[in-house]
Order: sequence, then C-alpha cells, then structure tokens
Amino acid sequence: MAGRDEVLGATTAPHSAVGAKPADTWLERRTGLGALSGALLHVRIPIESRTWYLGGLTLFLFGLQIATGTLLALYYKPTPDGAYDSVKFITSGVTFGWLIRSIHHWGANLMIICMVLHVVRIFWQGAYKHRREVLWLVGAGLLVVTIGFGFTGYLLPWDQRAFWATTVGTEIAGSVPVVGDSLLNLLRGGADVTEATLSRFFGMHVLVLPLLLAALLAVHLTIVHHLGLANPKKAEPNGPEPGGKLKPFFPNYVLDEVIAWYAVLAILVILASVLPAGLEDKANALETPPHIKPEWYFLFLYELLKMVPRLVGIVLPGIALGVLALLPFLDRNPEVRPRKRPIALGIGLLTLAAIAVLTVMGAG
Amino acid sequence: MMPTPRRDVFARLTRRAGAVAAICLFVAVVLARTAAAESPTPVVPTPTPSPAASAGASLGPSASLAPIATAAPVTTPSGSPGPTLPPVPKPIVHPSDASSNTCYDCHSAVNATQAQISSQWSDSVHGKNGVGCADCHGGDPRSTSMSVAMSPQAGFIGKPSKAVSVGVCGSCHSDAARMAQYQLATDEYAKYATSVHGQLLAAGDSRVAACIDCHGSHDIKKASDPTAAVYPLNVPKLCSSCHSNTQLMQPYGIPTDQYAIYSQSVHGQDLLQKADLRAPTCASCHGSHDAKPPKSSDVVDVCGKCHTATQALYEKSRHSTLDVGPKCWTCHGTHDVQPTSEDRLFHPTPPTVNCTICHDPVTNTFRLKTEQFATDADRRCDTCHHSASAEYAQASGIRDALVKASATYDTADAKLQQAAALGMIVTDADVALTEARTDLIQARAAVHTTQLTDVATLTDAAVAKAGEADAFADSKLSESTFRREAMVAVVIVIALNVFVLLAVRRRIHRDDHAAEGEAPVA
Repeated sequence: MAGRDEVLGATTAPHSAVGAKPADTWLERRTGLGALSGALLHVRIPIESRTWYLGGLTLFLFGLQIATGTLLALYYKPTPDGAYDSVKFITSGVTFGWLIRSIHHWGANLMIICMVLHVVRIFWQGAYKHRREVLWLVGAGLLVVTIGFGFTGYLLPWDQRAFWATTVGTEIAGSVPVVGDSLLNLLRGGADVTEATLSRFFGMHVLVLPLLLAALLAVHLTIVHHLGLANPKKAEPNGPEPGGKLKPFFPNYVLDEVIAWYAVLAILVILASVLPAGLEDKANALETPPHIKPEWYFLFLYELLKMVPRLVGIVLPGIALGVLALLPFLDRNPEVRPRKRPIALGIGLLTLAAIAVLTVMGAG
Repeated sequence: MMPTPRRDVFARLTRRAGAVAAICLFVAVVLARTAAAESPTPVVPTPTPSPAASAGASLGPSASLAPIATAAPVTTPSGSPGPTLPPVPKPIVHPSDASSNTCYDCHSAVNATQAQISSQWSDSVHGKNGVGCADCHGGDPRSTSMSVAMSPQAGFIGKPSKAVSVGVCGSCHSDAARMAQYQLATDEYAKYATSVHGQLLAAGDSRVAACIDCHGSHDIKKASDPTAAVYPLNVPKLCSSCHSNTQLMQPYGIPTDQYAIYSQSVHGQDLLQKADLRAPTCASCHGSHDAKPPKSSDVVDVCGKCHTATQALYEKSRHSTLDVGPKCWTCHGTHDVQPTSEDRLFHPTPPTVNCTICHDPVTNTFRLKTEQFATDADRRCDTCHHSASAEYAQASGIRDALVKASATYDTADAKLQQAAALGMIVTDADVALTEARTDLIQARAAVHTTQLTDVATLTDAAVAKAGEADAFADSKLSESTFRREAMVAVVIVIALNVFVLLAVRRRIHRDDHAAEGEAPVA
C-alpha cells in the first residue's frame, strides 16, 4: 500500500495508473483489458474531495434504467391501442413486471434528483471553473437529456395522467417564441397528442436519448478521468499536478460509491414495493381530468407560466438554462471556496429557493 | 245615519248565523276529508287560523287539516270552475316609428329611480329585442311632449294593475307568430289561467303571483340566464319569497316551511348544494305557469317524469292497482324526500298495526290515513303491513335480499379500495363491481314491484358479481402482502451486504492509517 499517501509534488499524477500490474495472461495479451481497467481504476484523487457520490449514483441509476427499460421493452407496445394494455399487462400479468416497472418509474425520479443534486454540489464547490469548462458543458447536456428521458417516458403508459401531462408539457414547448409552433408540431407529430406523438416519444426514449446520453456520458467520464476529482478547497492548478493530499480511487472511493449504490437500491426496492407505479384510466382526449399537472420537475415552470406572461415564462427559464450552461465562462472568479463567492452562491441559492417555492406552489 | 237597534240586532244575528254556518261547513269538510281515502286539499285554499308545518310535525288523526293537506297531494280535481281570466287581450295599440323611444330619453333623466328603471329595461331581454316602453304602457314614443306622449289618445295606460299586467304580457306571449322568432312557448297565459295563482287573480285576489312577480317587470331576463330569478337553481328561492312568508300565506292556510324542508331533501340538496340542474325545482312538480298542487292521481306521473323506470316498476305492483293505495309520496314524502335504503323498509321496532289503519271500520272500505305518513320515520312497510301478514314476510324477504347484496358489494368495494390504496392495479375488477352495482341499483328499484322474486333475481346476480370482485381484491391484497414481505427480505440482504462492505472499508482505512504512519510526510 506504499505510495497511497503521496503528496503534492510527487511524481505520480492523480489520474495516472498506480500499481497497475496487468497479469501476463492469455486474455491480457489479446485484449489489454487489465491494463485498461488498471489505468481507469488505479488513480489517485484529492483526499478533500467530497462528491457525496451523486455523479456515481446518477450513473448507477442510468444503468438500472437501461436494464429495466430493456425488460419493459420486451412487452411494451408503442401504439395507442396497445400501450395502455401492455403496461397494464406488465404490471399485473408479467412475473415481477410490477417490480421492473416500479423500479424504472422510481429510478427515473431518483436519477433526476441525483443529477440535480450533482449539479448543485458542483456549483457549491466551484468545480465547474478553470479546466473543467468543457466537462460542465457536457454535464449540462446530460442534464437536458435526462430531463428529456423523463418527459418522453411519461407519455408511454398512455393513461390519462400521461396523456394530459404531455398535452400541457408540449403546449409549454409550443409557446417558445418564433419556433413554438414548429416545435409543437415536431414534438406531437401534428396539432394534438396522438399516435404520432406516442411513436415519436417512444423512439426518442429508447433510441435517440439513450445513444445521446451514452455518448455524452462517455465524454463526461473520459474528461473526469483525465482531470480527476476536483479539490473543493483549492482552485484548479494550471499545470497537470493537483494540490493537496491524495488517496486511491480504488478501492477506497469505489467502495464508498458501491455502498451508496446499495443504499439507493434499498430505497428503490422500498419505494417500488410500498408505492408501486400506478396506472390511471386509459388516455381519453375527450375527457379532461379536473387537475392536470405536469411531472414534478416541470412544476416550477408550470407555476411560473401561470404567474407571468407566457412569453416571459418561456424566455426566462430559457435564459436561465443558457446562463447555467455558460456558467464557467460567465463566472470568472477563480476562487472555489463558497465563502469567497458570496454573489454567485447568493444568486444560485435564490434561484434554487425560487424553483423550490414555485414547485411547492405548483403541487398545491 | 246611525243604524236602529232593531237593525243592529238583525245584523248581529246574521253575522252569528254566518259564523255558525262557516264553522259547520269547515267541520263538515274536515270530517268528509278525514273519511276520504287520501288527503284532501282544496285547490283554491280556504282560510285557516294559521300556517302550520307541512311535514315532520307530529300529527294526530285530528290534527289541523292544513299540514296533512299540504304534506300530501290533493285528491280532487281543480274544484268547481271559478272565475277565470278573460281571453287573451290584443296588444296595446300605440303610435310608433319603430325606432324612437322618447319615454326612455326623458325618464332616464328624471331622477335616480327612473334612471334605474330605464337602465334595467335597456339591459333586459325586452330592451335588447325592441320591446319598448309603449308596448306595455301605451303612449306615443315618438313625441317629446309629455301631454302627447302620455295621452289616452296615444293609448297610454300608465302602470297596469297586476290583473291587467297579465293580459299585457299575454297579449304578446300568446302570439305564436310573434314568439316564433324567439322559439318561445305561447301557452303561458292559458296555463296561468288554470293555475291557483291565475284563478285567485281572476277572483280578484291581487296578492297572488302574476308574471311580473316571478319574471320582474323592467328587468326581465331569459329563463336560461343564471342570474334570472326563474333560472332553475333560483326557482326554490323565488317561490319561497312568497310561500315562506307567514303573513302572506296566513289567509290561505298554506304552510310556510316547504322551502326549509325541501332544501334538506335529496332533491333540494342536489339542486341547491350541488347545483345539479337535473334535480327538480318547485316548478318541476307543481308546474310553473300552471302552478298547483299535483292531484293524488297524478303523483305517479309527476314523479315518473324523471323516475321513468321506477314508475314502470311501480305500475307492475299490487300497490298501483289500488285506487287509494300507496303512491310515491306515501313512502317517500313530498317536499322532504330522503335518500332510500333497505334499512328504511321497516321501523326499528314494529309498530302496533290494526285493521282501522287501512280499512274504514264503518264502511269497511280500503283507505290510508295520510297522517300516518306525515314524517319520514313513519313511511315504512310495517306502517300498514303487520308482522304476521304475508305481505310483511314478502317485504322482509326483499329487505334481507337487499341487505345481503349490499353488504357483499360494500365488502368487495372496500377491499378493492384498500388494494388500490396499497398501489395495486384493480381495474380488472371494475367490470364485475360495476355490474354488481348495476344489479343492486336495479334490485333496489325493483322494490317498487313489491315482488320478492323480481328483487331476489337481481340481488343474486349482484352477490355473484360482487363475489368475483371480492375474490380479485383478496388476490391483490395477498400479492401486496407478499411484496412487502419480499421487500423486507431484500432490504435485509442489502443491509448485510452493506455491513460486509463497511467492514472491508474499515479494514482498508485501518491499513491506510497504518501505512500513513510508516510513510514519510512532506
């Protein structure tokens, strides 16, 4: 274990392989996988790093979504006539179908929660600054794609809640200045939410978005591996060397991460068992339910649209998303410690508080 | 000139004789109607000492006639033909150029009251459809000279009396050619003439309701306007504005608590609380323009206007074959109709039943004493049928069949709701439960046939369907229990894994600290 306590100035970079000794085996000679995994795992990270495992949890949940989503796709029929009945069959007729669907349902929610908290953590630690601008931009893309997953997946059960939430959600998109009508048509495949919408959303959900997310994720992880974990107490140095004391990524950090995954898995199992994914009446375009609301992560937008003129309600969040994506280029303060960044944190906390208040109001 | 003593005595005797005759007549009417099969209410009410409760009061056999009379429908036709309204008059003839309305121009500027009247008219359905002041008041709307515009030569009649106003309204509203463009009925005047209101008005009683009392005069709105007094949701309040007025109703001996009672009934609750326009208003049963208490022989048809299927079932029953047998109101009441239930078929404790309840001891004819059904608590099968009778056994069998079906349905419904609350999808039981509910509703309605076989066929079907739903609910509840038990097992396995990993982690950290102690620190 010698070498784990190397400090600043040591010759080994945090992201370099340490102690990687790929065995000279038959498989290794032919694949080099041992060397690759060694290079990926046997790196060192700042001992002050505090990720709360949120990025890893999001990755874990994405993996679960892929696994459960694949199983659901075995039975799911993406047509208005077949969607509802197939989801009902999955939930009631397929052995452990209810568990797969419920984990997929709750996994999606937890994935969004973990991703948002991951963004908040990075913002709080200033981990988007110098040298991590591209990483942040790719992360912003991952955030948008993940929300897109939620939005497109919500329609697939084709029940009343799904149908009308999508109707409201796509109407919001249709209010975007200049391109609103075209965007609405593009999303719905026509003027209304119909079979065409279901086909599009299904295609987006199981083909386009997974490929997009996988590609962005690969870039994201590659950059993370290249840069290493950020030190929340010290600004990123210009050179390749990190600051501060280091610890091994594997097994120390990975072990903690796996424990966190187990905890989230337990939460998922409990949620899936106690609050299994439900199913309302089949979608009916002629019967508007009394209270139509979008999914919880769009409630703040929904509430904002009720409070301000529609144009403002669309443009304002658009500007906010742009500011979020370009944050590393707008916030030029190199300091990463929170108490040295009162303005940025103040604005960030106010924005979060506003979103939280609007969400609570929207849910009420 | 003072009357002489002789004339004074004669006058006193005449008055006493008149009073005695009136009392004798009153007593005779009371006796005659108490002996009759059903409650008698004169269509044109006779004065009684004071208004009294129409239902819900404790009424003895010899209690005031008025409460009984108004609690139950009348038995006799509209009585002897009294004074009737004159034929529909012709519309008021007055000069007109079809555009001028100098009446409005001047009156809107006279004072606040006149301005308000002018404003009401201009906002009214008449004002918006070219019916001007002169069409009701006469006069020349072209002239700016008061002496010309409001001259008798111009047909000016001023403010018409109530009796005249009915004719003024009727003169246009009975004109089919004129009303066709508005798709309005033209029989209101004729109907009003047959109403209690119209007959009393024709007899010279100007206190009764005429067109303007319900529709307003200058501020007339369409009946479909929710702000109109005659809009269905507002009708009970409109009627009660007179019929809850004890002073106004006192001369007619009509009770004044109908609105209070109606508002607590299923009909009143639905209309007034839930704003359900399907629920009947006063006018639905009594008529609007032709308002009168429904005759006993009409009651089944009156209720059957809405309760069509129930009426058909009732007409299959033995009850319907009896001229003076139980009608809708006998079991359900009139203004105080309450929700029905199989629990309400019998008294909690069987009452004492004797022959005279249904049979006149003198004439041995069948009849019902209306006072026995005055309160909701008294409207039960065993009010008439004693516990040793075959009818009682039949009714008891109906009650038991309904109770069993209802209990089976409720149990299945409760279990399905419980399963749904646990997150289980129970829609597969919807069909069975809905069919059970339909059968149960039909079985409850079939009570009106008084045939146990009819009811039992439906309750058996309801029990079978509810049983299917119940079995489905049980399977879902079992599955939910399994899920929770499995969840506990999985969480325990996860916890064990975490404990192992925590132990490994502790060991790694211990090794790290040990290595740290050995390594040089910069």
